[in-house]
Amino acid sequence: MRAYAAFVKKEFLEMSRTYKLLIMGIIFGVLGLMNPLTAKFTPDLLAALMPAGMTIELGEPSVMNSWMQFFKNIPQMGLIVAAVLFGGILGNEISKGTLINLLTKGLSRNTVVLAKFTAWGIMWTCSYALSFIITLLYTNYYWEDSADSVLLAGAVSGVWIFGLLLIAAALLGGSLFASMYGSLLFMGGIVVIQFLLGIIPDLGRWMPTGLISNNMSLLEGNMGLAGFMRPLLTAVLLTALFLGLSCAVFRKKQL
Amino acid sequence: MNALEIKGLVKRFGSHTVIEGLSFEVPENCVYGFIGQNGAGKTTTMKMILGLLKPDEGSIRVYNEQVRYGQTDTNRYIGYLPDVPEFYNYMRPAEYLRLCGEITGCPSGSLKQKSGELLELVGLKNVNKKIGGFSRGMKQRLGFAQALLNEPRLLLCDEPTSALDPVGRKEILDILENIKGKTTVIFSTHILSDVERVCDRIAVLDQGRLRLEGPLDEIKKKHRSGKLLAEFGTEKEAAGFEAMDFVKKTGADVKREGRKVILCSGNTREVQKAILCGLAGMDDMPLKIEVLEPSLENLFMEVVE
Amino acid sequence: MDVLIEYLPVLIPLIVLEVALALTALIHVLRHPNYRFGNKVFWCIFVVIVQFIGPIVYFAAGRGEEE
Repeated sequence: MRAYAAFVKKEFLEMSRTYKLLIMGIIFGVLGLMNPLTAKFTPDLLAALMPAGMTIELGEPSVMNSWMQFFKNIPQMGLIVAAVLFGGILGNEISKGTLINLLTKGLSRNTVVLAKFTAWGIMWTCSYALSFIITLLYTNYYWEDSADSVLLAGAVSGVWIFGLLLIAAALLGGSLFASMYGSLLFMGGIVVIQFLLGIIPDLGRWMPTGLISNNMSLLEGNMGLAGFMRPLLTAVLLTALFLGLSCAVFRKKQL
Repeated sequence: MNALEIKGLVKRFGSHTVIEGLSFEVPENCVYGFIGQNGAGKTTTMKMILGLLKPDEGSIRVYNEQVRYGQTDTNRYIGYLPDVPEFYNYMRPAEYLRLCGEITGCPSGSLKQKSGELLELVGLKNVNKKIGGFSRGMKQRLGFAQALLNEPRLLLCDEPTSALDPVGRKEILDILENIKGKTTVIFSTHILSDVERVCDRIAVLDQGRLRLEGPLDEIKKKHRSGKLLAEFGTEKEAAGFEAMDFVKKTGADVKREGRKVILCSGNTREVQKAILCGLAGMDDMPLKIEVLEPSLENLFMEVVE
Repeated sequence: MDVLIEYLPVLIPLIVLEVALALTALIHVLRHPNYRFGNKVFWCIFVVIVQFIGPIVYFAAGRGEEE
């Protein structure tokens, strides 16, 4: 248990000294600010850019526009940056050999995988929460009405779970291919396979990619919570499976 | 009890056999020199002892516990210094040792003191820069400190002296000599003078096979050539000595190379006696008389050929 | 102008963040003169001019090994 705590601590020290913490904090903070700003600002901007005398019909921006920006920007920008950072978490250490000293001191390999998942899970949760809270505060400030809180909670947790799934995939990719690029390719592969399988409607309803693409349908009431639960369940099961496999593969890895 | 027992170890990388049926035992509390050229299989063997590589055949036991490939509990007995130790570049030496100590479950009170002592021992006490800026020799020193941190019963060092300057080398060898008796040390090297200085037992590894194994003094005794050397000040004196009757009477095979006369025989003691008696009646005294020990280098070359 | 004032509550933190990030990166560039690629002048300009992306690219890819 002490080794586990020590390794989690080491991960946070690493994130902070290699500026990963800074990068995540800034990106998610900025995205959080940009969402309500873009939603509010776009119609004004368009109107200002239009030649005099021309008008275009644009509805008054609503609270939904702000959340639309959130569920577009976080998966597109935020998750991609996060995935690039996740890519190195185990692969880099295996390829550089920095784990050898610690493993030969009796550090359990399961502890390495689980501690990394814990540290990066916390890091992802905090960055994402930062972005969400900023968007929420400004959305409440600029708009009087608000989105349905149950549906919003569902939609927000979807992206969060998907992030955790990506971390587990990064760990499995890292232990399989022992390099950062292998890990990145593996993560990309997982997402692409999901999109391909998603073509079959019966399977598509279960794909975790639904967690980052159906958020607005859920929020606008076009999709029931039940429909969102299916990919959520798959994502949780896959995360657990990837973590288990990652431990199993890493335990038998030649270093 | 044996600190390490290896039986019938075989390791192949693809079609290339790196270790071919290696078997040896390392008794507790000795310094064991693991000698071999580059590529002889020293690092591979060590990695198998640590469970980092999977042996194709054979078994390895550390303090009577079987080493399992992958996650192995036997590592809690072991301190390991890799040939090129890798650290976290963003850490300072004291931070790294604290991480190591926390992982091995060293109580935090004694940990600080211990890491301070070790950093002093390896000469990094006043170094407070990040490991990323370390030279190879400094990394080797830090590697030594981390290997000794958990007071291992078995210390594995992979070429610990290769990246060090002469002063650093002497310091590391001194440390090895100091912990002799408390800790079993296995260290691989191709620097034979280091071996002669600190080792009790040696194993010579060549192309994945053990060519020579045993206590260093026994090996030397066994390979003693039975040669006696008498060295004179001038060639003339040496030639005069060679022509003496008492020299011929010893029955030894006499050879002269310049000022040196070498006498080969089955019984060096008797020859030595006769020579010393004979010399008493001579005017020209030799500069030295010496029983020739086989040098480790000659032995090594002999078995590796 | 009225429009701008309406956006100030969100613009101010954004500008503060940008300036703070650019400054952090600029100080780092000046104090650690080893880069994986590029030189000091390039990074100074890049980090200050290219908003947000500049400093992030610097910290993620351009920053040299630890000293």
